[in-house]
Amino acid sequence: MRNALLALRPERRVLFGCLLGLLISTPCQAHLLNMTRVSIVVHQTDPGTLRVEIDLGQSLMSAADYWALASAEGNEQLRRLQPVLEALERGLTVEIDGQRIDSTFVDAEFEAASLAAISNPLTPQMAVLRWRLPPQVGSVLTVELASDLEVPWPCLIRVDSDRRNLPVSRLLTADRLTSGSLTLADTGERLAVQDSRFDLFLVYGFLGFQHILPLGLDHVLFVLGLFFIGGGARQLALLVSCFTVAHSLTLALATFRVVDLPADLVEPLIAASIVYIGLEKLLTTEHTAIRRQRLRYGVVFGFGLLHGLGFARVLGEVGLPDGEFVLALLAFNVGVELGQLLVLLLALLVFGVFRHRAWYASCIATPGAIVVAGIGLYWLGQRTVG
Amino acid sequence: MTEVEEQKGRIPSRLAGVVAVALALLAVDHARALLSEPIVFDPEERAPGTFPAHWIHGSKSAMDNDDPPVQVHAYNEHTIIMRENKAINYEGAFMYLFFGNDRVLLIDQGSTSSPALFPLRETVDEIVSAWAKDQRVPEPELIVANSHLHGDHYAAWNQFVDRPNTVLVGLTHEEMMAFWGFTDFPGERIEFDLGGRLFIVTGSPGHQGSELSFYDTWTDLLYTGDMFYRGRLYLDDWSAWVASIQRLGAIADEFPVAHLVNNHIEMTNTPGVDYPIGTTWQPDEPPMQMTRAMLEVAIKATEEIDKPGIYIYDDFMIYNEIPWATTTDP
Repeated sequence: MRNALLALRPERRVLFGCLLGLLISTPCQAHLLNMTRVSIVVHQTDPGTLRVEIDLGQSLMSAADYWALASAEGNEQLRRLQPVLEALERGLTVEIDGQRIDSTFVDAEFEAASLAAISNPLTPQMAVLRWRLPPQVGSVLTVELASDLEVPWPCLIRVDSDRRNLPVSRLLTADRLTSGSLTLADTGERLAVQDSRFDLFLVYGFLGFQHILPLGLDHVLFVLGLFFIGGGARQLALLVSCFTVAHSLTLALATFRVVDLPADLVEPLIAASIVYIGLEKLLTTEHTAIRRQRLRYGVVFGFGLLHGLGFARVLGEVGLPDGEFVLALLAFNVGVELGQLLVLLLALLVFGVFRHRAWYASCIATPGAIVVAGIGLYWLGQRTVG
Repeated sequence: MTEVEEQKGRIPSRLAGVVAVALALLAVDHARALLSEPIVFDPEERAPGTFPAHWIHGSKSAMDNDDPPVQVHAYNEHTIIMRENKAINYEGAFMYLFFGNDRVLLIDQGSTSSPALFPLRETVDEIVSAWAKDQRVPEPELIVANSHLHGDHYAAWNQFVDRPNTVLVGLTHEEMMAFWGFTDFPGERIEFDLGGRLFIVTGSPGHQGSELSFYDTWTDLLYTGDMFYRGRLYLDDWSAWVASIQRLGAIADEFPVAHLVNNHIEMTNTPGVDYPIGTTWQPDEPPMQMTRAMLEVAIKATEEIDKPGIYIYDDFMIYNEIPWATTTDP
């Protein structure tokens, strides 16, 4: 050790408990800078709390005003605090299920070592303000900061709920002023970057679309298999509709846990369905065409049920937001359908233009079906043997 | 031969085609597996690595600084150390990427949120993508973790919230504990596998209550975050820090620690002299990495210090439970 204990500079810290002024000294928190923290605790039956930790002297007030606030006592302190409370209550919105929550101010603490410390952004002097929240039975919470609310960035949001095992954290920045939807129960949740029902629809719609293109190669191959089977546009539309109705059905049933099959079973069966749909084209002769065509709708419907279970597994990994199950499910389905339609459209553009050529069957449809069935067989082996 | 018979005759060759496609794909799979053998992160043999002779250390005029916003240094092929440009934020925070066969661990996200000023996500994406290309493997899952919960270590966290193939540990103590699997924080040692690359994670509070330290069994780097580095060790809880530094000492006794690595440099090359808080140009800064001997000095300090105050050592300063605004700056 080179030097002995250095003399400490005098420090003054004022604690204000609503009407109580108290001088204390507290330990340092280096490298915290002056970033803002908002903590929300909600209970179903008891009152909750909203706590804001903020460097007031570097944001909503001048350093001198903050020093005067921290040095004042009683009603005088409350009077000086009033504009800050108004600004925060106006600019910080907490909503549950889309309804703004009214809060009641409780108390505040002010750290204020000196006017010089307050004036220096490198030595943050933080204020802590607390509000009481009424009991909440809603399921989705959002926090939003108004763009004109001047707070030191970033702003860490922490939400605790008596229906969650773990808190949930989000970071707000000047570029992202909303927490998105945060679910207050452990079921569902996980994806929460959207801040309105429209955004939520877009996010889940995109997820559904993405699960076809580019992530859902097995579903793409199944649709291509249907395409290569051929038949008229009406027949193709009917087959795709059968597939769509079926997978929508099991997607909904599996999402609401009415049906639950293990992935170890579903995934090989999906691969088997691709093999089947490829072979359907390859094994059909004129002699068997009529009989197979009659069966085909039922078979495709059955396979659609399987593929729906596959979609449900993906959706289960992402989670559905509480209170918006139906909307998110619908959006996911719409995304899946758009993805499938795009696959068909691309197939029509690339291959369909040659459908009436003599060589279409031997040069496109049959080799296409061979590739579809071959990839399905490869996946079947992979998913069965490991 | 009728047309139906002809069609039937073609069926065996079509079926053979199907099998041929499946076998070809299996062969490609097999060849890929042969070409991309998993990386062996042998804990018995220390993986070598290097530090730069000097880190980019800011400039006299921050406005005129033309250094990259994030300095990227490959300690070795699978270990990347990044530093935030001090002209963007005086903290000049270090951040780490540790690659394993299955996952890549990002520890800390610096002191600046704006992707325009501090494009950490873009930098990490480029590094991960280049690594995957070099290794001829798919991009590994990214774990976005934090050494502790101070704002200068998670400011750019938001840049990763919409990143695919990414796990965000979370910015609360409880989320951190749940992710790493702590049931007896801070004393517990957790073994964490990135895919053949094993880390030992332990609690090291004192500077901040949720702080973690990481020992990489492959490189023998002991990452100590903000609880031990060449600078002002601001201690919120002295007794917790004493226990933490002794825990790190026990790890260093048990494992062949090569270097202690961390998040900031605040000292100068002159023993016992630091740069003032907020410095954005540090032409005379020492290396970031620290030695086992320096850790011993810190352990010895725990026996000497018995009250709050500032205690100065050659390579670090202990700010023991004193108010934030207190400083040795003139």
